[in-house]
Amino acid sequence: MAHCSAGNEGVVVSHDGEGAEGERTTLLLGNPNVGKSVLFKNLTHRYVTVSNYPGTTVEVVRARARFNGRETQVVDTPGINDLEPRSDDARVTLELLEQHRDAVIVQVADAKNLRRALLLTLQLAERGRSMVLVLNMFDELEERGGRIDTRRLSEILGVPVVTTVAPRDQGTSELVEALPAARAPRIHGPLATGAAPAGAGRSLPVLPPEPPGDGYEANRIRLERVKEILAETYSIEPPSHPSLRVRLGFWAMDPVKGLGFLAAVLLAVFWFVGLFGAGTLVDLLEVVGFQQHLNPLAIELADATLPFPHQHTTELISQPIGLPISPAHEVTVGTIERTVVLPEYSIPPGAELSARQHALRFVHDLLVGKYGTITMALSYAFAIVLPIVTTFFLVFSVLEDSGYFSRMAILLNRTFRRIGLNGKAVLPMILGLGCATMATMTTRILETRKERIITTMLLALAVPCSAQLGVLLAMMAALSPAAALVWLALVLSVLLLVGWLTARTFGGETSEFILEVPPMRRPQLANVLVKTASRLEWYLKEVIPIFVIGTAILFLLDKLRLLDGIARMGEPLVTGWLGLPPEMANAFLVGFMRRDFGAVYILDAMHAPQPLLSSHQVFVAMVTITLFMPCVANFLMIAREHGMKVAWRMAGFIFPFAFLVGGLVNRLGRWIPV
Amino acid sequence: MGTVASRWLTCPMCGFEFDRDDTLCAHGCPLGALCNLLMCPNCEYEFPETPRAISWLRGLLGRKQPAASRLPAGVRPVTQLAAGEKGEVLCLGGRNGSRYSTLSAFGLVQGSEVTLVQQRPSCVIRIGETELALDLEIAEEILVQPRP
Repeated sequence: MAHCSAGNEGVVVSHDGEGAEGERTTLLLGNPNVGKSVLFKNLTHRYVTVSNYPGTTVEVVRARARFNGRETQVVDTPGINDLEPRSDDARVTLELLEQHRDAVIVQVADAKNLRRALLLTLQLAERGRSMVLVLNMFDELEERGGRIDTRRLSEILGVPVVTTVAPRDQGTSELVEALPAARAPRIHGPLATGAAPAGAGRSLPVLPPEPPGDGYEANRIRLERVKEILAETYSIEPPSHPSLRVRLGFWAMDPVKGLGFLAAVLLAVFWFVGLFGAGTLVDLLEVVGFQQHLNPLAIELADATLPFPHQHTTELISQPIGLPISPAHEVTVGTIERTVVLPEYSIPPGAELSARQHALRFVHDLLVGKYGTITMALSYAFAIVLPIVTTFFLVFSVLEDSGYFSRMAILLNRTFRRIGLNGKAVLPMILGLGCATMATMTTRILETRKERIITTMLLALAVPCSAQLGVLLAMMAALSPAAALVWLALVLSVLLLVGWLTARTFGGETSEFILEVPPMRRPQLANVLVKTASRLEWYLKEVIPIFVIGTAILFLLDKLRLLDGIARMGEPLVTGWLGLPPEMANAFLVGFMRRDFGAVYILDAMHAPQPLLSSHQVFVAMVTITLFMPCVANFLMIAREHGMKVAWRMAGFIFPFAFLVGGLVNRLGRWIPV
Repeated sequence: MGTVASRWLTCPMCGFEFDRDDTLCAHGCPLGALCNLLMCPNCEYEFPETPRAISWLRGLLGRKQPAASRLPAGVRPVTQLAAGEKGEVLCLGGRNGSRYSTLSAFGLVQGSEVTLVQQRPSCVIRIGETELALDLEIAEEILVQPRP
């Protein structure tokens, strides 16, 4: 398939110094969303997060590979539309181009959209960079009845042109073979129309010395040239009958059908994450996995290795397992019953514990006690958080790869405008429903500082992350649907209000909304799975240490009998202002570390044999903890992205604000039919 | 656009667009400031000026005043093409160099052929194989000559 250039007369390029000195470098470069990262994987067998959303490669990925018997460094770059340093992404790519002056550039193009690719090729040509042009997604072009005369294209440009279908790993070896033939493209190659100006070959482009309008004029001239090249090499028919996929893409951004589509998507996500993940899977893992099997096993093991006189309580735990149909209905598949030992224990009266036994008891409690690492921290992390986050990231990856998020951005652009953002903030906001920390990092795709700050703020305040959302859903199951709606309305209005206020506080411009809409694609299962796995890995690495440390701190405070003291200290706030029992201070205490941890604590208090909280109190606690800063990691990420000062200011606003709103709900919200 | 729209008026009868100062009865009318009617210099239809509250409500509902500029026959903002209609870009509007250059990087320049995909909630146009979503405000400034 490779068509190495035939006529490259007069093109003398210092292409790569033939690897004599140092190492060769291959730079993958191209428009956003053309499949650079998949091709990178094919070339190096290393995985990069790939999405059907422009601007996914935020960080540069490098890997080593052997091409034609030579060790080569392969670099994947963020997608760019032209060689202007317009965004952070483009700046990164430009810097890489500068750093690797003798690198071979593999320009990856969407074969369907050759026009845009050639716009970039011409700019590389102006810089005299030696390159290979890869026409990726060639299958999609052929599906559309499109045609590219690759031989002719290669002749005109004077560079090798290779066709690939990256997801199926087609054309990769041809690409590797073509690498040594990389050349700098000609700007004015021979055209049959005779349109090529006199100074063909390596002559500089007919560009005005200082292009007016910040590169606009230059692009306009390039596009004229591109038009000439396309006329000779490229044809594509507009599809006579748009495929279902294309029509879905239209519906998804239609003002009316789009909302229906959005509702359907939300419902599906709610079912899969909220009901299936947070319901069925959590039941299975938490009750069956931990309470019925792992905890008793851990307790037995602890008792065997750390002996001291005590008697654990036993209880019959029965758990119906079912598939949810609606929030209120489920099809019960079966019930799992088992009599198990609980972490709670009593010491026989009259037993005197020696110092050694006290020490053993301490370790025993640290591992499997009420605030035990296994019985609390790990069971929260693996049994409650893990299933919810897994289901969420699965759905998120599917939606991301399908190209739906760009359409959502189109739908929500006007709403976001009111809070000083534009539609592009959709991606971080939705990702925030998975993990606010991860999403804070993604705010880099936004263009102005103002937008990044507002999005970061809203993520920290009012966008509950999946772990917390799952716990909240579980709490809501105990409350009425009306309470859930009020909660949702409250969180949304806080989001809009604070967004609106922040937009006014932070001066500066909101960037204009100009977003390329990627085609709807069928998500590739393997890609979705790998992406979910890599996000999960990242997430668990964040979560488990915090859960373990947080539990250990709770445990120590409890052992030192400080918990009651703290509860008393927090009393004016917790009991006086929020109207909650003093024990709830613990929930907020751990909530400072992770708000979902605090939420789990509240959930526990609800499910205790003697419920600590009334429905109204649950609702108040729920609202307060929703508005907490997500976690310590999030705080650190904000500090990393925007500086310590901004992070402290945000925390200084968020926590008092959360208590303020919680208290207001307590005072004014008694009428809410919870 | 907002500042322009406040001075430029559109006659609800004939659609003629005129400067507020050009209203026929503005000079020497005995009613003077007491009169809140405007008269179209083209068809002499008298009409009350749209009160602020109404324009604000319209703005809230997303109904914009019609673009208040006189364009050559056929030329119109890209948003006023029918969905699926093609047009040739005559000007990208505005005096915003960085927007110009961003749009050009997506292949949208003077002379490009564009197809309108949808107007709302954000304007989506197709240039070749590129679909581009734009703020309505940006799209309204892009003028095109419709093509069959």
